Amino acid sequence: MAEAIQKKLQLELEKYQQMQKDVSKSMSARQKLEAQVTENNIVKEELDLLDTQNTVYKLIGPVLVKQDLEEAKATVAKRLEYINGEIQRYEMLLKDMEKKSEQHREVLSSLQQEYQRAQGRAVGKV
Amino acid sequence: MFRKCQCQLLDVDIWNVVPFTFSCFLFNSSSMRTCQTSRKLPCSDCVVKGCEDQIQHWKNVKGDYEVLEDRLKTLPDKVSYDIMVPFGPLAFMPGKLVHTNEITVLLGDNWFAKCSAKQAQMLVEHRKKHVQSALDDLHKTKKNFEARVGFTEDLEKLSDGKGGYVDIREELEGVVCKGKRRVSLKPHSKPKTEAIVKMEEEEEEEMLNAEGSKRGVLSEEELWARLDELEAQEQQEEELDRRFDSADTNGNDDTTSSSSEEEKDEEGDRPAERSKGGTTMPLNGSQVDRTALPPRDGGKEEQEDDEEDDGLPTIHFSHTVEPKKVRINTGKNTTLKFSEMKEQKQQAKRKKNNGTSNGHSHHGLHITSPTDIYRLFVDVKNGEPVPRKSILKSRSRENSVCSDTSESSAADFEERRTLGRSPSHDDNTYSDTGSAITEEDAPTGELPVPTSRFQAFSGTVVEKEPIPLSVPQLTIAPPALPTIPERKLEEVVPEAPQEAPQEAPKRVSKFKAARLQHKGP
Repeated sequence: MAEAIQKKLQLELEKYQQMQKDVSKSMSARQKLEAQVTENNIVKEELDLLDTQNTVYKLIGPVLVKQDLEEAKATVAKRLEYINGEIQRYEMLLKDMEKKSEQHREVLSSLQQEYQRAQGRAVGKV
Repeated sequence: MFRKCQCQLLDVDIWNVVPFTFSCFLFNSSSMRTCQTSRKLPCSDCVVKGCEDQIQHWKNVKGDYEVLEDRLKTLPDKVSYDIMVPFGPLAFMPGKLVHTNEITVLLGDNWFAKCSAKQAQMLVEHRKKHVQSALDDLHKTKKNFEARVGFTEDLEKLSDGKGGYVDIREELEGVVCKGKRRVSLKPHSKPKTEAIVKMEEEEEEEMLNAEGSKRGVLSEEELWARLDELEAQEQQEEELDRRFDSADTNGNDDTTSSSSEEEKDEEGDRPAERSKGGTTMPLNGSQVDRTALPPRDGGKEEQEDDEEDDGLPTIHFSHTVEPKKVRINTGKNTTLKFSEMKEQKQQAKRKKNNGTSNGHSHHGLHITSPTDIYRLFVDVKNGEPVPRKSILKSRSRENSVCSDTSESSAADFEERRTLGRSPSHDDNTYSDTGSAITEEDAPTGELPVPTSRFQAFSGTVVEKEPIPLSVPQLTIAPPALPTIPERKLEEVVPEAPQEAPQEAPKRVSKFKAARLQHKGP
C-alpha cells in the first residue's frame, strides 16, 4: 500500500518538476522578448530623429543592405507589434502553466499526506 | 574585394556597440528578477550587490558615451587625420582617417544609419537619456533593498546583545483569564482588555527592538520548529479569542506593519508567530496602555536588568498579586479605599451562602478578571452598592477612574484616557454582568467626559453618576449620540449633575435588582 503510494508520489513529483522547468523556460523566453521590445523602441525613436537624407542600412548576414528610411520605420514598427503579440502569448501560456502547477502541487501534497498516513499505519501495525 | 576592405579600413566607421549592451543589461536584470522570484526568502543582500554591479556597468556606459560625444565634436574639424590603424590584434599600420563627417551608427537590431557627426551627437544624447533613467531606477531599487539589509543588521546587533537593545520578559504562569469572554456585538468595538491576549496581539506588531528575545540563541531549524508550535498554540488561542476583534490591533498593524513587515518578510513571518508565545511584554507606551487598568492585578514588579545568557540585557517583569492601594475618586472628593466596602459585602454574601457570618473584611482581593474589578469597584450610593460604569466605556473616566498609585500606570493614564474616550460609545456592549441600562443613562454618562474634547478642564466638576455598565441599545446609533451630548454639554453642564441624581433612583436595572434580591435573603 505504501509502496504504491510512493510510486504515485514519484510520478507526480516528476511531472511537477517538468512543469516547473517549462514555466521557467517560458519565463526566460518572455524576458528575452521584453529586451527586444526595449531595443526596438529605441531604434524606432532614433529613426524618428533622422531625416530622409541619411541612408539606412540593414545588416543581413555579412552584408549591409541599403534601406529606405520609411521602409525601415515600417519594418521596425511591424517587428514591435509582432514582439508584443508574442509577449501576450507567452503570458497566457505562463498563466496556464501556473494554474496547472498549482493543481499538481495540491495533488502532490495530498499524496504526501496519504503516504505519511500509510507509513504511520505500517509502523503502528508493526 | 580587397580594395574595398582597404577602403573600409581607411574609412574608419564608428560602430556604436552600445545597443547590444542594452539588451545584455536587460537580460541580466531579468535574470536578477528570476533569482528573486524563485526563492522564498529574497536575498536582499545579493540584490543590493547586483544593483551595485549594474550601476557600475551603466556608469561605464555613460562615460563611454561622453567620450564619444567629445570625439564626435572634434572629428569634423579636419578633413582627414593621419592615424595608426590597428591591423589585427597585434599590429598597427599608418593610415588616414577620411570622411570625417560620415558616421554609420548602429541603431540596434541590425539597423544602421549613415549620419553626420552632429546627427550622431543627437543620437548619443538620446541614448544617454536612456542610460540615465536606467541608472535612476537602479539607485531606487538599491535604496529599497539597502533598507532591508539594514533591518537584518539591526537584528544581528540585537541578537549579539549590543546596540542598547533591552529584552523585557515576563513570565506568565498560569494566568488564565477565568472571566467570561465577552461577545463583541459590534464589529469595531474596542476589545476587552485581556492582558494575555492583548500582549500576544501586541507582540505581533512589536518593533524589532522588543521582539526576538530568544531568537539569537536558537538555530534556524529550531526556530521553524518553534514556529510550528506557536502556530498550533495560536490556533487554539484564536478559537478562544475569535471574538476579540482586534480593531485596535489592526490600527496598529497599519502603522507598524510597514516597518515590521519587511522584517517579517525576511524572517518568513517568524517574529510574529514566535512572539505570540506570549513571553515578552513590551513596555512600549502606546501598546501597553491598551491593557488599561483592570488586568493589572496587584502591583507590577520591575526587576533590574539582568544579563541573560543570550547576551541581551533583560528586564524581568512579573505581575504580583499584592493588594494595591488604589485611590478612587468618586467625584465627591471622597476616596474609597480599594474595595473595602464592596469586599465586605462580598465576603458577607459568601459567608451567608456558606451559612456562616463574618463581620470583618479580609483584603483577599480575588481579581482574576475584569469582571471582578467591576464587582469590587463600586460606589455606595444611598446605602446600596451601585456598580460603576466600565472605565472603557464611559467618557467620564477622568472623573471617576481609579487612579493607580503605582508609578508605572501614571504614564499610561493619559493614553488610557484618550483611548477610552474615542471608542467609548462602542464599548458599551461589554458587560460582565450583562446588565442593561435604559437609554437615558448614556447621555448623562457621557456628558462629563467630553469637556476634555474642547478644553482640558471646563472648570466644573461634574459628579459622575454611578450608572450600570452597559448601554447596548445605545451603541446602535453611534454617530448621533456622542456628538449631540457633547454639544449639549457646554450648555448643559450645570444642569447635568442635577438631572443625574434625580434619574438615578429611578433607574434600577433588572440585573441589579436581581443582585439585590440575592443579597437580601
